Amino acid sequence: MFYIHQTVCVSAQKTNGLIDLDDIQPIKDNKLQAIEPNYDAIPPAMYRRMGRAVRLASGAALPLLNTLTFNGIVIGTANGGLEDCIKFLNQIVDYNEGKLTPTNFVQSTTNAIASQLAFFSSNKGYNNTHVHRGLAFENAALDVAMMLNEFPDNSYLLGGVDEISAYQYNIESLAGSYKKESISSAEDLYNSKTTGSIPGDGCTMFAVNKQKTGATAKLKAIGTIHTDKVEEVTQYLTNFINKNLGESSLSLFLSGENGDSRHLPYYSACQNIVPNIAVERFKHLCGEYATASAFALWLACHKIQHNNLKNVLIYNNFRGKQHSFMLVENA
Amino acid sequence: MSRVFVTGIGIISPLGDTLSLNHTALKKGICGISTLQLINSNFAGKLPVGEIKTETQTFKEKLKITETGYTRNSLLALHAFIDAINDSKLSNEDITAYNTALIGANSVGGMCLTDELYKDANSKSQGSEYLSSYDGGSVTLAIQERYGMRGIINTINTACSSSANSIMYGARLIQNGLATRAIVGGSDSLAKYTINGFNSLYILSDEICRPFDSERKGLNLAEGAAFLVLESEEIVGNKKVYAELTGYCNANDAFHPSSISENADGPFLAMQGALRKANLQPNQIDFINTHGTATENNDEAESKAMLRLFEKVPPFASTKSNIGHTLGAAGAIEAVYSILNLTEQEIYKSLNYKNPIQTTGLVPVTAYTKMTINHVLSNSFGFGGNCSSLIFSKA
Repeated sequence: MFYIHQTVCVSAQKTNGLIDLDDIQPIKDNKLQAIEPNYDAIPPAMYRRMGRAVRLASGAALPLLNTLTFNGIVIGTANGGLEDCIKFLNQIVDYNEGKLTPTNFVQSTTNAIASQLAFFSSNKGYNNTHVHRGLAFENAALDVAMMLNEFPDNSYLLGGVDEISAYQYNIESLAGSYKKESISSAEDLYNSKTTGSIPGDGCTMFAVNKQKTGATAKLKAIGTIHTDKVEEVTQYLTNFINKNLGESSLSLFLSGENGDSRHLPYYSACQNIVPNIAVERFKHLCGEYATASAFALWLACHKIQHNNLKNVLIYNNFRGKQHSFMLVENA
Repeated sequence: MSRVFVTGIGIISPLGDTLSLNHTALKKGICGISTLQLINSNFAGKLPVGEIKTETQTFKEKLKITETGYTRNSLLALHAFIDAINDSKLSNEDITAYNTALIGANSVGGMCLTDELYKDANSKSQGSEYLSSYDGGSVTLAIQERYGMRGIINTINTACSSSANSIMYGARLIQNGLATRAIVGGSDSLAKYTINGFNSLYILSDEICRPFDSERKGLNLAEGAAFLVLESEEIVGNKKVYAELTGYCNANDAFHPSSISENADGPFLAMQGALRKANLQPNQIDFINTHGTATENNDEAESKAMLRLFEKVPPFASTKSNIGHTLGAAGAIEAVYSILNLTEQEIYKSLNYKNPIQTTGLVPVTAYTKMTINHVLSNSFGFGGNCSSLIFSKA
């Protein structure tokens, strides 16, 4: 599909700047909120108007936009600037549809992120925003893969971003997405045997193209399926492996397990499809959010490069209904 | 790369809930814009909008919805989706095949439920039935779940150009060999959220909109949905074919969050790229279905872009004068109208136009006209500089 070159990962861990994954940052108040990046490159007047998602994405993308040239920008985000959205909604209700300021409204459209990045870099090329909840990032990556198939000499900025705001937290809490008991470690999360997970947020940006030289890793294949049936997921995985891995072996299975007892059967069943392969989990690092798979892709690239792995299979599912597989190989 | 054909159409708009009703209304030059009624808002009884005068509950009954969490947006999308699959005579096997994709688009998602969202987001409720229905993805997921679809499923939101991009994405899936069939389109329902949003930007007209008129005062918001069944030439066989999607392009204006630049680079690049993709010269375009929202900024910028690209600007019109601006659904609804131009070999007049914009002097089509049409260009431009153009050609 394509080669991944530079990356920037803004997460709850030390993944941006000096990377240190041994010094695990703790879960605070049952959340894993991203450590905000350096915003010096953003003009202060602009910075003040930005909601968290646009801010995280700008902080993550600017180092790449300032040093590389892209033919387009493709972002996956389930909710974009939901905080701005509810702020505007609250204005509507609280001021009974009176005279409202448009800033929150303009920032709330999910495409505000990709368009802000285009604006920063005067990028008039392809610009798209995928919002398909738990597969928003995968669809964005597939979009870029198609663009590179159509225009093999091009380079694209691919990103996944979602924010956790108080409003989002309220809605998801009511929906039963989060754990009620206190979670302060990976053990707590994965051994809980209860429903729900812990929320996280973050933004990961990838500079990608078809050039092998200098690449960190290669995204070999993406597969997605919507179903709540475990056997459909395992069947899909079996086909995915036969088609994309052939006879070669896997170095690592990176599992999106999130501590939610309702989702565990899918992860266990998929692990059983690739037995005797090392398994690692990542949600204790980034928390659960719709585009956490972008973090997983970054982690796979990091592990391939630093642990000298041949390949990594990422399996993630969102709410037990949207499943994705990404096969990442060394370049 | 495979050719991509349109084999099914489903549409619901202020002009009617079938393709034939929409066609008749366009032909007669009917305007479906009326005063806001069905939303509990200070704007009700005052603001002109393209509202479908059917209560949400009536849609639920008509579509036999037993699932919880269906929003008006999902209902409009489902309505158009059902018509599209029936029109293309797709079997259940076709719909659930791994190589059948579903690409939806919308801008407001379930935020049409302003009051429920307000309570849920601010912890003022025990949780409504809509907790998983607020995001844009929920609209497409409702259809996917109802039909058990297994192929690539996606939702795009690039504001007002969303469903032009979903059509484009579906076509590219086919051309890249990732699907043989893609059901593509978009929907948006009127919402207190968007009405107040556009109002805060001072771009809503308090009268019925007048695209490309020198005295235009802004846009009218509207609601609707449209889906197209796209099929590759390999599987299309002897099926009825409405048109071929020959060109498409997406570009960004990279200028301002809510207005287009002086030179209209985004619109120009989108139209130019679509021509290049279709391998057509500008003089081969017979008609342009413009974005034509009737805002001060859009119509002048779009006119400038047309003047930049076309030595002689072809006949053009804006169906926003018939239905208003359906936001995330606009690209798909207007794709349907562009296809009607091709299948019927006729163009529909742009309503409420009197005098040209001084700086550009362009005059839209003001009378229903029968003419030879081989290629129609359709424009969709959105907030954030997201500009997309599609070209449909006679099959």
